[in-house]
Amino acid sequence: MPSARHPSPRRRPGLLGRFSKDLLALIVPAAAVVAGVGLLGCAPNGAKHLDSGEPLQPPSAFAAVADDAERSQAMFAEAARVLLHPRCVNCHPSDDSPRQLDSSRMHVPRVTRGTKGDGAAGLRCASCHQSENLSFTRVPGAPHWQLAPIEMAWFGKTPREVCEQLKDPARNGGRDADALVEHMRTDPLVAWGWDPGADRAPVPGDQNTFADLIRAWLDTGAVCPPDTTTPGAAS
Amino acid sequence: MALEKISRRELMRRVGWTAGGLTLGAWAGNLPWTPAALAQDVPADASQAFDPSVYLSIAEDGTVTVICHRSEMGQGSKTGLAAVLVDELEADWDRVEIRQAIGDEKYGSQNTDGSTSIRNFYQPFREAGAVARQMLITAAAAQWGVSPQSCRAEAHQVVHRASGRRLGYGDLARAAAALEIPEVETITLKPAFEQRLVGQPLPIVDLDDMVTGRASFGLDVRLPGMKVALIARPPVVGGRVATLDSSAAEAMAGVQVYTLPVPEGAPGFQPLGGVAVVAPDTWTAMRARRALVITWDDGPHGGYDTEAYRQTLEVTARQPGEPVRVVGNVDHALEGADQRHEADYYAPHLAQAPMEPPCATAHVHDGICEAWAPTQNPQAAQSQVAATLGFEVAQVTIHVTLLGGGFGRKSKPDFIAEAAWLSQEVGAPVQVVWTRGDDLRHGYLHANSAQHLEAGLSADGKVVAWRHRTVFPSISTTFSADAKAPSNGEMGLGLADLPFDIPNLAIERGEARAHVRIGWLRSVCNIYHAFAIGSFIDELADRAGRDPLSLWQELIGPAREVDFGEVEISNYGQPLTVHPVDTGRLRRVLDATAEDAGWGRDMATGSGLGISVHRSFLSYVAVAAAVTVTAGKLRVDDVWITIDCGTYVNPDRVRAQMEGSVIYGLSLAFYGAIEAKDGAIVQQNFGDYRVLRLHETPRIHVRLMPSQGLPAGVGEPGVPPVTPAVTNALFAATGERVRELPLSKAGWV
Amino acid sequence: MIAFHVNGEAVRVDVDPEMPLLWCLRDHLQLTGTKYGCGEAYCGACVIHLDGEAVRACVTPVAKASGRQVTTIEGLSEHGDHPVQRAWREENVPQCGYCQSGQIMSAAALLAEVPAPTDDQIDQSMAGNVCRCGTYDRIRKAIHRASQEQG
Repeated sequence: MPSARHPSPRRRPGLLGRFSKDLLALIVPAAAVVAGVGLLGCAPNGAKHLDSGEPLQPPSAFAAVADDAERSQAMFAEAARVLLHPRCVNCHPSDDSPRQLDSSRMHVPRVTRGTKGDGAAGLRCASCHQSENLSFTRVPGAPHWQLAPIEMAWFGKTPREVCEQLKDPARNGGRDADALVEHMRTDPLVAWGWDPGADRAPVPGDQNTFADLIRAWLDTGAVCPPDTTTPGAAS
Repeated sequence: MALEKISRRELMRRVGWTAGGLTLGAWAGNLPWTPAALAQDVPADASQAFDPSVYLSIAEDGTVTVICHRSEMGQGSKTGLAAVLVDELEADWDRVEIRQAIGDEKYGSQNTDGSTSIRNFYQPFREAGAVARQMLITAAAAQWGVSPQSCRAEAHQVVHRASGRRLGYGDLARAAAALEIPEVETITLKPAFEQRLVGQPLPIVDLDDMVTGRASFGLDVRLPGMKVALIARPPVVGGRVATLDSSAAEAMAGVQVYTLPVPEGAPGFQPLGGVAVVAPDTWTAMRARRALVITWDDGPHGGYDTEAYRQTLEVTARQPGEPVRVVGNVDHALEGADQRHEADYYAPHLAQAPMEPPCATAHVHDGICEAWAPTQNPQAAQSQVAATLGFEVAQVTIHVTLLGGGFGRKSKPDFIAEAAWLSQEVGAPVQVVWTRGDDLRHGYLHANSAQHLEAGLSADGKVVAWRHRTVFPSISTTFSADAKAPSNGEMGLGLADLPFDIPNLAIERGEARAHVRIGWLRSVCNIYHAFAIGSFIDELADRAGRDPLSLWQELIGPAREVDFGEVEISNYGQPLTVHPVDTGRLRRVLDATAEDAGWGRDMATGSGLGISVHRSFLSYVAVAAAVTVTAGKLRVDDVWITIDCGTYVNPDRVRAQMEGSVIYGLSLAFYGAIEAKDGAIVQQNFGDYRVLRLHETPRIHVRLMPSQGLPAGVGEPGVPPVTPAVTNALFAATGERVRELPLSKAGWV
Repeated sequence: MIAFHVNGEAVRVDVDPEMPLLWCLRDHLQLTGTKYGCGEAYCGACVIHLDGEAVRACVTPVAKASGRQVTTIEGLSEHGDHPVQRAWREENVPQCGYCQSGQIMSAAALLAEVPAPTDDQIDQSMAGNVCRCGTYDRIRKAIHRASQEQG
């Protein structure tokens, strides 16, 4: 049997709220550097996102950050732990083929997005992926299993880049703020990230907390974190 | 053809379809239809009036039945051998049926391995056809009261030249059967120009069944009351069950659990042991096996780790080995050389991974065992099943189905013995199904190998000394616990028979123990030997600042039959006097391939051409590859492959085998690696044991060398030169040398 | 009890709803033309059509077929003369033949949707079907031939 591929926990800096605002300026870049080294070490493409495995922090955990913009950035960085997790980015590729596993290797067999993001003629995503996970054969599945449109490519991107994309209706599926939150909170394909089946590592937290973070980020001005921020690094 | 063809309508009828729909249960206890496998090799009935050979009979209705005693696994020899016989018989191809033989020593070797079917049976099948033709002529001549010399055979009839009288083969069958069979020496074979089938492209006889789903493979056998078994085998070879909790599996409807015997001594063809679940259908068996809770005692090989073992092989390869062939004095020549060059090559374990995994159906009843299986070696299956059951060989009948690929895996009948043992225990027909994971985890692996090469170059760029040391666990280890070094037979697979014109040569072997079952895989040791030799020549050319093709040509030297002196060369079971190592033929395929590939032309930046040539299975094959490297990723654009296999029977199938060899070679070059950790195989399926797919397939250009020579091998010899041609092309494109396979390890693909 | 149509005929089967359609076809409906090669959707030997779409029968629970039309290699054409089957014969594609049911069903699904595929489209559609004998070059040629012949 294949061994479980859960990421090994990595120490993260303590919660933002424990530090004074003055310290934040120093800590955020430092944490980013630490995390960056880890990322470089394991994934030359910047694709592999080893999550800490710690609970996803809800918006309330960021209440001590007085500045709205900084809080907005911090909450987005926390949400990016979900957005840039292999469970999510593997099917948000910036080319025409999905990735798979925590290593984000090229999907085997090679499949392509086709004209509608649901695969090529004769080799649709649904040729193998059902509307639910299959436990015996380990094939993952969820309703409307397909690739995200190319304009919603997140693979290999930074939290800031994804943040900018999410705010741009041309690159977020034409969604306004409410639709974006609704999508994050209720979409069954998004929901799959928390219930990926077999021995796949789920994205952190739960879907409501994630959607709450997105809501709170939007409500605090939807400020994007600096270029150097890595997922969760600002928390 | 002989295989039972069932129209879809007929199938529907037998399955019991009705317009309103029908409920069908598992097996339903009744046999819905008889697969073609069951119709094969029924004893010759009374209508078979004339059977002058074990390979042939002719019925009074004129139907010619050819017995195919070799296994058909895609190489086309079932069609090819029949064509050889029918051509010589001067029979009508459309009135020929082909029956697959059971395992029986009366047919001679049925071990469909070593690319031997055509090369070893071309002559016997010609003779069988010619003898029958002569007897039919004699029978007709006697009936007409004329001399046999005044008659000839033509299109399923004997014709009296002078009178134009004719008699069909069916009409003559009984009379011919009464005649004494003439000595082969008295028979005249057709001259080549009169051959009508041999040398012509001929569709394979199973083609129609294969494109309509009717072709019956091992896994398609269905017997009344048949149960399906899956086996949880010890993850480590030599392991055994320590504890077993089978309660969850046995709670499933219709599931029984059996613990197989622990094999004794060297693995041989014995089942590996483990725990079997026997169920009403495949899906239930799969679920039941997963419900087993087993702990294993791993035994002596529990520490096997291929990454660590690689170091062991490489250390051995850098130490003096046992000389197998020595010419001149390499050490002395190296000391005096203008330049010295060394390289070490490593290639990992491989699995054959035929599309149809091992599988077998057996029915032990009334003191006999009948088995149906996709086996490359039904006589070995017969022996192993008899040994497993404690039966005499005569109590065991092995029916050979079509094979969904073999590549050497299905030469080993361990899986058939499993089915037989289970059927005996269960008291019902049992089909043993191997999943893909089983196939990869419990195979007979291609050996992992380390090779060390040293050469000396003279000031004018000539190779004056060559030492080649090979180290790999021998296939002999599978059969003898004492075996610890490559056998002479393995050394003869592309190494001891090195054909080069080098004044100082030392070929050595080193010792290596096996920790898994080692077995044959399409072209066997030739794969890694040709990789090292082909790569090293390219390296030497680079070192000497020479064109690789010119160095190849110089090493091959003048056209001659290579003199190996006192060294015994296994030469694929053939005397060197009959099948010499002919450097003229080697050179011709090399030059033809270079010409086809446009060797020497300018290539775009990031593109390169590579070439290699290798003799194996008595055939000569050259391969050139054109590759492009973009952003560090390799694409093989074109492959040119030329074979000189002597006389060939079906040029279309020779071409198909060359095309397939390119794909098989690229698969192993790109991705092939089986790894072990803690004694167990890591790879689970085609996700982590990747093979080439259509979108990675290059344009393939095949050239067949016309030849009147004796038939030589076709199924395997295309594989060995593929990898070095590609890695040499990669070097030409990038300046990066690949000394370790597969290419995926360094990220090239 | 799960009811669906196979090759135009109505069937009802009393099996585990999670049983892959592959094993239902092979073990319970005696339609052995659909092959097992990997069981985990890597190789395509088991490709069939479900309501005309190519699917891998080894990872399609039989319950998913309920009320739908299943087409297997045995039912692709009445007389084995689908343009793809004809082209397969013309190009002498098969070697061992084991994977060819799946190859043909994938190719037929491709051509049903893309009547004149480019090489690139063939690459994209056929990448899910493994052939260990290495018939890929001829598969490509046969698809082009079938495309031309079906006009």
